[in-house]
Order: sequence, then C-alpha cells, then structure tokens
Amino acid sequence: MIRNPALLSPVSGCTSTSKRLRLLLSVVAAVASPLAAADEASLQAEIADLRAQIEQLRSQLKELATQRGQAPAPAVQAAAPAPVAGTSAPATAPPSELAQRVDRLERTVSAQAEEQSATTLFSYGEIAYSRPVHDSSQTTADLARAVLGWSHRFDDRTRMAAELELEHAVSSADDKGEVEIEQFYAERQFTDRVGGRAGLFLIPIGLLNEHHEPTQYYSVFRNFVETSIIPTTWREGGVAVYGGTEWGLDWNVGLTTGFNLANWDPSSQEGRDSPLGSIHQELSLAAAKDLSGYVSVNYVGVPGWTLGGTYFTGKAGQGVPDFPAQDARVTLWEAHARWQPGPFDFAALYSRGTISDTQALNLTFIGQPTPVPQLFFGGYVQAAWRNIWSYNDYSLTPFTRYEWVNTAAAYASVPQGLGVPTSPTEQIWTIGTDFYVTPSIVFKADYQQFRIDSSKNSFQLGFGLNF
Amino acid sequence: MDDKQDQFLRRARPLTRAAAVASVVAIALVVALLLREPARADAGSPDGPSPFTLGEKIFADRSLSASGAMACATCHDPAHAHAQSNDLAVQLGGANLDVPGFRAVPSLQYISFMPGFFFAPDGTPTGGFNRDGRAKDLLTQALRPLFAAHEMANASPADLTVRLAQTPYAGEFRQVFGDNIFSDPEATVLAVTFALAQYQTLDSDFRPFDSKYDYFLAGKVMLSDAELRGLALFNRADKGNCNACHPSGRGPNHESPMFTDFTYDNLGVPRNPDIPANADPNYVDMGLCGPERTDLSERLDLCGAFKVPTLRNVATRKVFFHNGQFKTLRDALRFYVRRDTNPEEFYPIGPDGAVLKFNDLPPALHGNVNTQEVPYDRHPGEAPRLSEAELDDLEAFLNALTDGYAPGGAPAP
Repeated sequence: MIRNPALLSPVSGCTSTSKRLRLLLSVVAAVASPLAAADEASLQAEIADLRAQIEQLRSQLKELATQRGQAPAPAVQAAAPAPVAGTSAPATAPPSELAQRVDRLERTVSAQAEEQSATTLFSYGEIAYSRPVHDSSQTTADLARAVLGWSHRFDDRTRMAAELELEHAVSSADDKGEVEIEQFYAERQFTDRVGGRAGLFLIPIGLLNEHHEPTQYYSVFRNFVETSIIPTTWREGGVAVYGGTEWGLDWNVGLTTGFNLANWDPSSQEGRDSPLGSIHQELSLAAAKDLSGYVSVNYVGVPGWTLGGTYFTGKAGQGVPDFPAQDARVTLWEAHARWQPGPFDFAALYSRGTISDTQALNLTFIGQPTPVPQLFFGGYVQAAWRNIWSYNDYSLTPFTRYEWVNTAAAYASVPQGLGVPTSPTEQIWTIGTDFYVTPSIVFKADYQQFRIDSSKNSFQLGFGLNF
Repeated sequence: MDDKQDQFLRRARPLTRAAAVASVVAIALVVALLLREPARADAGSPDGPSPFTLGEKIFADRSLSASGAMACATCHDPAHAHAQSNDLAVQLGGANLDVPGFRAVPSLQYISFMPGFFFAPDGTPTGGFNRDGRAKDLLTQALRPLFAAHEMANASPADLTVRLAQTPYAGEFRQVFGDNIFSDPEATVLAVTFALAQYQTLDSDFRPFDSKYDYFLAGKVMLSDAELRGLALFNRADKGNCNACHPSGRGPNHESPMFTDFTYDNLGVPRNPDIPANADPNYVDMGLCGPERTDLSERLDLCGAFKVPTLRNVATRKVFFHNGQFKTLRDALRFYVRRDTNPEEFYPIGPDGAVLKFNDLPPALHGNVNTQEVPYDRHPGEAPRLSEAELDDLEAFLNALTDGYAPGGAPAP
C-alpha cells in the first residue's frame, strides 16, 4: 500500500490538477511517465485526457479521410498487454497506436486498482537525539512522533483521510506524550479543477505545515519559523475549496475554527516559545463563536519554481464571558519561494503574526513573565544539494539554513515600568546532511548554532520514515 | 387505489406505527408522573423552605449554642467577609463564652471552592477544610464548631436537637427533612450540616466575585497606578512572588482566580503569646501533623504547615495567619519580606542575645520552614525583596481584592 499525497494536501491536489493540464499539452511524455511513480487517481485522469485527445485526433483523421475519400482507421485495435513503464511514444504517433497505448495503460491501471483496496494505510514517524554543546546533561533522545494514517476512496471523486498521532512514545497521566487526531476530513473533486474539503485539516500555509513528514524536510527538527511563528502542525476544523488554473496558479480558501486567547497562560514559557501554538485548539472542544478564514495561493506554472503565500485571520475572544480581549484578532501571513534547479533546492520563507487589542488583557498579566505579544515574526533561507552522492538507493543531501525568529517583538503598551522587555530576534544557523537509505527512510545529522542564546547550540541526530 | 395513493400509504404506515408507539410511551410517562411519590421537600422550591433557607437561618441562630449567644455568624461575620469582626487572636466560646480557642478564625468566603484533602501526584498536600485540612467536606467541617467546647459547645447530637426543635423554624425543618427528624439526633445533625453546606455553597454572599479586581479582569474598570504596580509586584517571581501560592490569573477554564492554590506552607510564624494555650511550652500547634489533626502525626516533614488561605478580602481581615499573630495587613506583609533580613523585628531575643527564629516550632523541625522561595530567600544584611514604597503598592492592590466594589464609585460599605 502506498500513501497518496494528494489525499493529504490541498496544495498537492491543486498541483496534480496543473500537472494534468500540462499533460494535455504533452501526451507522449505523459504516456512515457513511469507508472510506479504515479498514483491511481492521476493515471485515471491521464487516461481520460488521452481519450479526449484521441477523439480529437480521430475527428481530424475523419475529416482528412472524407477529404481524400478514404475510410478512417479503426478506433482501438486489440493489443497484447505490455509493460508501460519505461516506454516512450513518438510525438507523431498515429491515433490507432496512441489508442493501443492508452488501452494498455488503462488495463495496467485497472489491474493495479483491483489489487489495491479502496482503503489504504500509511505511516510516518521520527526519532531525534539532541545533545547541547555546553550542557550534555540536557541530552535527550525521543520518539518525537509516530503516526498511523488511513484513507478511503468512496468513488473516483470522493475520499477521506485521517491521521492518528502519538507523540513522545508514551501517553499517560504521568507522561508527557499526547495522542491526537491530526487530520480527519473528507474531500470531493467537484470538477477537474475545483475540489472541496470538510473536517479537521491542515492549514495550507508555508512549506512545511502540510508536508511535515521527516522525509520532506532536511533538518532533524522542523525549522523554527514554521514551529514558533507558524504553529506546525497547525490544523483547524472547517471547510475549504481549492483548485488550480491552466496557467499554474493553485488556490485554496477556507472557513475554519480559530484560536482562543482566553487559554493564554502568562505564567508559562509556552507562549514565548510559540505564541499561536499556545492558544491553538486542535478541534478539541474548541471554542468556536469566532470563526477564522484564510486564503492561500501557490504559483507553480514555471517548472522548478513554487511561489506562494497565505493570509489567515480571525477573532480570538470567542465570546468568553468577562474576557477583556473580546475583540482581539489573530492575523498570520507568510510568503514563500522554492526553486529546485537540477539537484539543488533553494527555499525562502517569511512569516509575520499579530494579535490585536491585548492591552486590557495584558494589564491583568502584569508582573507575569509572558504577556500576549502584539507582533511576532520570522524568516529563513535554505539551500540543499540533493543526491550529491548516491549509490544504488543510497543518497546524501547536505543542506544549510539561516533563520531569524522573534516570538515577542512588540507588546501593547502598559504603564511605564510595568511591562516586560520584548524578545530579541534570535538567529540560528543549521548545517547538516540527510542520508537516504531509500526515498522513504532517512538518517539525519545537523548542528545548530544560536547567535544570542548559545546555550542552545547543539548536535542532533535523527531517523525518520514515511510510507 | 392508484399508484400515488398506494405510495402515500406505504410511507404513511410506518409513521402511524411510530405515532402509536410514541403515544403509548407518552401515556406511560403521564401515568408514571401521576402515580409517583410527592416531590421530596428537600428539592426545595422558590417559595417554600429548603435546606438552603434553613441553612441561612441556622448559620445566624445563636440559640443553637450552649451559651445561647454564639452562632456561626458570630465568628464568621457576613459583614467581614465571613471572618471575625474583632482582632482577638482566638475567640471565646463555650457555655459561658469564656473558653478560648486555639486558632484564628478563617474566612468562609468562597469556601465551597475548596477541594477535599488529597496528596497531589508529586506529594504536595492539597485542599481540605480547616487550617489543617482535616475535614474532608463542608458537612464534616460544620460538625466541629457545633460541638467544640470552645465554640458552640453542644454537648451531644441530642442536645443540639433539643435546641433546634425549639426554634421558630423547627416546623420548616420538619417539613424539609421529615416529620420525625427530631426523633433521630444523628439524622438531625446530618440535616443541620447539610443545610449549612447548602447555604455556604449556594448563597451568592459566599461567592460574590465583585471586587475591583474582578471588574478589572473583565475589562470593565482600570486599576489605579498604585494598584497596577502592586499587581506587578504580586506576580513577579523576583519580588513578591505571591502569585506562586496565591494565583492571580484565571484558571484553565477561564474560572475566576481564588488567590490560593489550596496547598500548605510553613512560614515559621512567631509564637503568639495571646493564645492562652501557648502558655504551656509543651503545646505547639503544628498544623498538618497535629495535635488537632491526628492522621498525619508521623509525617514530621509536614509539621508547621498550614493551608494557604485565599487572599480575596484579605484587607478586611482583623488578624492574620493561623495564630492571629499580626493584626494589620501591613504587618503581615512586612513579615513576609523582612522575616529573613530582620528577624529581630518578629521573634524574641534569647538570653544569649540571639534571635529565637521560628520559635513556634521545635528546633528539630526548623528545617521545615520555607526559606528557599522568594521572598523568604533573604539573609540578614540583605535588602528585603520589597521596599516600604513597594509594600504601599502591594497593599493597594490587595485592597482591590475586597468584594462589594461598585464600578464608578467607592467600594460598597
């Protein structure tokens, strides 16, 4: 059983739509694409596209035959099944030959589909070892997460997916682990270019939130910007509509649950580590008077490039009685770019968040270490050289990343002398390498250096898998 | 019968069957309601007597004491946040109102929020009623004052029952708890404590949540500059650090702060010579480990620990700490921050000129006293965690915890 990424990501769903469009313009190349690398849904769509192309060519042939007084070629001729993967079709293949190839492709797909259940299982997980340079007593090893997912295809256009996650290996009253449903949604493809989704799903923001499996990012731990500022793995309950254009613009809009500022704990460090991570609700008896909305776009029309951004906003007072920040609004936006020329992978992202109308609330927190920040932001640039060395399935990918993060860049004003200082902007360098045993199993090693709080400088080792 | 009619009837038949079943169920319910026993009086009604209304009357009834002059409200005066109205270290009770007690009177305000006694997973003793947590609930708590020799001094349940049967509301008591209630003294005592618990739990006077600080938390009024500075000092871990035991913020479900974490602490409060029992040098009130509480007498590490009280209405208190050693809020605050920098201000001086610090505990148990946390982590010669000016601000804030605040005006009398 293989995992279908399109089930879990509206962005990847949109991307497949764009791929299909491009396939219409390049029939031969699509037929020649390796079957093993394609999922059933995209292949079915491919077949439909090819059939449309055949019909078009057949019409043209008929017209020509009529003009020359000849009969058209048979529509589809019986052909012995042949492996498709690795074959290539000439760009000038006649319709009959093309039809045979389509037939073979369809039979192969059907055979594969028959072998495959409509219900699939998938999984990913990661183990991390972290050793601070200056205090080895703080060294930890942790099964950070183990995730079991399942999906079910109701029909060609409708499916569901869910993920059950266990963090930190053990979850009990006396342990720090958590068991959580990370995703639980159904989605339907309304047309070839527009789909919809409902349930608990990941917010399409940044480069990591929807693609957070350990084989999808380079370092042992997820980057700081997309954990401290964007609270990966960030999910909300709600509905979304998504789609793509012919020219490569994927879009996604949603109406969801939001944050609950009444859950802010001014005595805890959690709000300083991740302001939004400390007040997200994860659809667990979530206060839902105030809903939030988002708009996300990604332009993928130029091969190798992804340019995009997301804007999320919503009130966070949630109608909690006698709460002095009833009109507080959480807004978070980000912009990102990714360029993957040849073996290289360059990425950049900037994100900025605000929480408004916190002055009265923060006055009630006076003297406590963690009032609600008014502004927080972060960004990073990253470069990787994929497969700088490879042997059979083994490959090595070195990378480096520079980040700057500030989780409390500004506070609403309080009387002089009663506030807490804003946080400095921490800067972090990460350098390391990923060693892939297969594309689905990776060992990682990296070193992180903090410019301000050097006590956090550390070596990390990691292991992750994903299928 | 045409097709449409047939189709309609096919749909209608199941509905008719469902309606019939529903009718039978409804009739059965009506019959059950008609045949059931009359509603128990203890359910109460808006107009008739109830445990709540009886509890209110019992709470204020002096005739239920041996002296005929002491009610619950005598020591737990509603006009003083249900705490004592005088500044005696201990109250006088008994048949002649001449038997001194052992501890100062705690406030009963917000008492129903107190959890029963338990040890938290990390071993921290938590909750329970009375200053040593020995009463598991409000009913048990109410027993002691009714029968203690230094309080209402009823000799027995029968003694209390006789007094209760002579009250003007005895008929209401029978109406609520049964005509034969007074024939069973044990049941009568249970009914009395139940009524008192209901009153203390349900009456809004015991849980007003209408201090200036409550309005401030709701964003409806602003604290003064001094009160804000005081709040900051209260919360700051490097200054007052009061917040560590008296949380000032809302709880995880947005509940109003109780200004106590319901735990226990050993502050080494000086021995109070105003308590007659202290005339005996062998008598030492050590809270959790006795002598009044008996089940933890082996836990010497808990000796000297008393429950952290709520600070709501603390500015209305006439005495402070379990033994009423201090009679003003300022003196109590000063003890917190100067106990370790200037112990001579609070403890007697020994024959050798040394300060007899923590003199209300046997020397072997002095190690139990909290000397680690702020603000108790100072030493002679060091500056207190709070200056006199800062104590002014802290006191201003604590005054904002007094219930009865009228937004836009002065606190209600």
